[in-house]
Amino acid sequence: MKKNDYKKIFFDGVVANNPTWRLVLGTCATLALTTSAMNGIGMGLAVTVILLCSNVLVSLLRKVIPNEVRIPAFVLIIATFVTVVRMVLYAYLPDLYDSMGVFLPLIVVNCIILGRAESFASKNTVLAAAADGVANGIGFTVALTIMGIIREFLGNASFFGIAQPWDFKIGFFTSSAGAFFVYGICIALFNFIYSKIEISLAHGKARARRQSLPKSLEELKETAQAQEEK
Amino acid sequence: MEQQAFVEHSPHQKSSLTTRRIMLDVLIALAPAAVMGCIYFGWQALLVLVLTVLSAVLTEIIWLLIRKQTFKEIFKQFDLTSVVTGLLLGMCFGSQTAWYACILAGAFAVGVAKMLFGGTGRNIVNPALAGRIFAFIAFPTIVAGGWLGANFTESAGEVLTGATPLTDFLTNNGVMNTELWQLFFGYGVPGCIGETCKIALLAGYVYLIVRKVIDWKYPLIYIAATGVTTMIIYQSFEVFLPSILSGGLFLGAIFMATDYVTSPKTLWGNVVYFLVLGIITAVLRFATGIEVVSFCIFLMNLVTPLIDRFIRPKPFGYVRPEKEKTGKGPAKEAGK
Repeated sequence: MKKNDYKKIFFDGVVANNPTWRLVLGTCATLALTTSAMNGIGMGLAVTVILLCSNVLVSLLRKVIPNEVRIPAFVLIIATFVTVVRMVLYAYLPDLYDSMGVFLPLIVVNCIILGRAESFASKNTVLAAAADGVANGIGFTVALTIMGIIREFLGNASFFGIAQPWDFKIGFFTSSAGAFFVYGICIALFNFIYSKIEISLAHGKARARRQSLPKSLEELKETAQAQEEK
Repeated sequence: MEQQAFVEHSPHQKSSLTTRRIMLDVLIALAPAAVMGCIYFGWQALLVLVLTVLSAVLTEIIWLLIRKQTFKEIFKQFDLTSVVTGLLLGMCFGSQTAWYACILAGAFAVGVAKMLFGGTGRNIVNPALAGRIFAFIAFPTIVAGGWLGANFTESAGEVLTGATPLTDFLTNNGVMNTELWQLFFGYGVPGCIGETCKIALLAGYVYLIVRKVIDWKYPLIYIAATGVTTMIIYQSFEVFLPSILSGGLFLGAIFMATDYVTSPKTLWGNVVYFLVLGIITAVLRFATGIEVVSFCIFLMNLVTPLIDRFIRPKPFGYVRPEKEKTGKGPAKEAGK
């Protein structure tokens, strides 16, 4: 695998195929756990760790698992890591464990993890799968944290749990209606920015191609002559 | 001989019926109720109305400026819809609503419920209702916490704060302490700015019918359906008048549910829309114990495309194809 391939994996995972804002996966956890920035980061990191481990294991076992029973095998692998993460959180971060509640065991059925196992890890080498897991996890964590910051700031007048001096709370943003509202606005803004990036990338490619082409007929003849002389 | 031929797009015949004229009519029809609200609730009510209207109009202008339109273009296409939205929004607030709630709700109504969906005529829900529901969820204690009573004797220190007659009616199992004439004129009744004075709302209704802005049937269907369903729920004939005269039913039925953009296109579609609206209003009022007219209209606005899908308008010049009688099929063939 070349260096460029890893670059592409990271760009895909964080921006082009951002699981939350481009593919709209893992919606349930996104809507429920963005009430505060800390919850968003906690959920994002938990998913990242599980995604990394499950991608590596699925990629290692990709030639052993029979094709017919691959989905149950993937779910079994994911469930194992979810249980591990759950126990670790329960032991060391009981507050986060409480606030995540039922959504922590529900990571087992999170589309992002199963989707990456099915579409990427089961077809690629271990290193590539690990890079893909980290990239998608970062994309998910960034999306959840930004939504969590917005909702906590507007709905609860605090920033990462630090209360702001003013006491102006718009309860709308901590309710589920506000979750959908913030989610929709974030998707719209992200796709707007992404379309700009895509256009500039396409322009850059076209410019590079134009520069590599001979500029005039004379130049073309010159290069042909030079080749003949050789 | 040289003759210039002009080719113009249709429509060739133009009437004075523009969006701006219709919205001006709606504003005139809303005026009596707004004025009565200001008389009953004092300068605070006027402040609420001014704030919501200003916030709605400014949001629209700022949005259009961001979309790189010049002031001249904005003025040319300004059709008063945002003024109507702001006024309706202010009229379904209580007079004690905080200033920031008014401004945020106005901005939400026009910015999110209207402009994000593509501007006038493309909104899927009534912007004023969206603004009210936003304020209701965002600031529950400010918007729906105790109502200031409409009372002339405010200066004498007798300010009534308490439940609206409808809440009274719903919590006391169909018995109301307010007199019917009081409900009709809105004198001394706690509630939203625009909803208490029924006679002013009815004056607006008559004006809209005379100017042919709305169909006279639809608000009546809504109000009657609500009253009849309430009678069925409580199994008594006496609750009909109290149930329709209390709360924001008249305001919602005359000015909000009849919004062109968010109600069905056909006669029968509208009949279904307003009948269902009346039934769910009565049932949800009974089930939740609060005023739900705004939520019900919001809900039915979302169902409107579905109604339009099943009850379609007849295309111009359409002739229904004659059905072949199925029973005589074999006999015909035999005859041949």
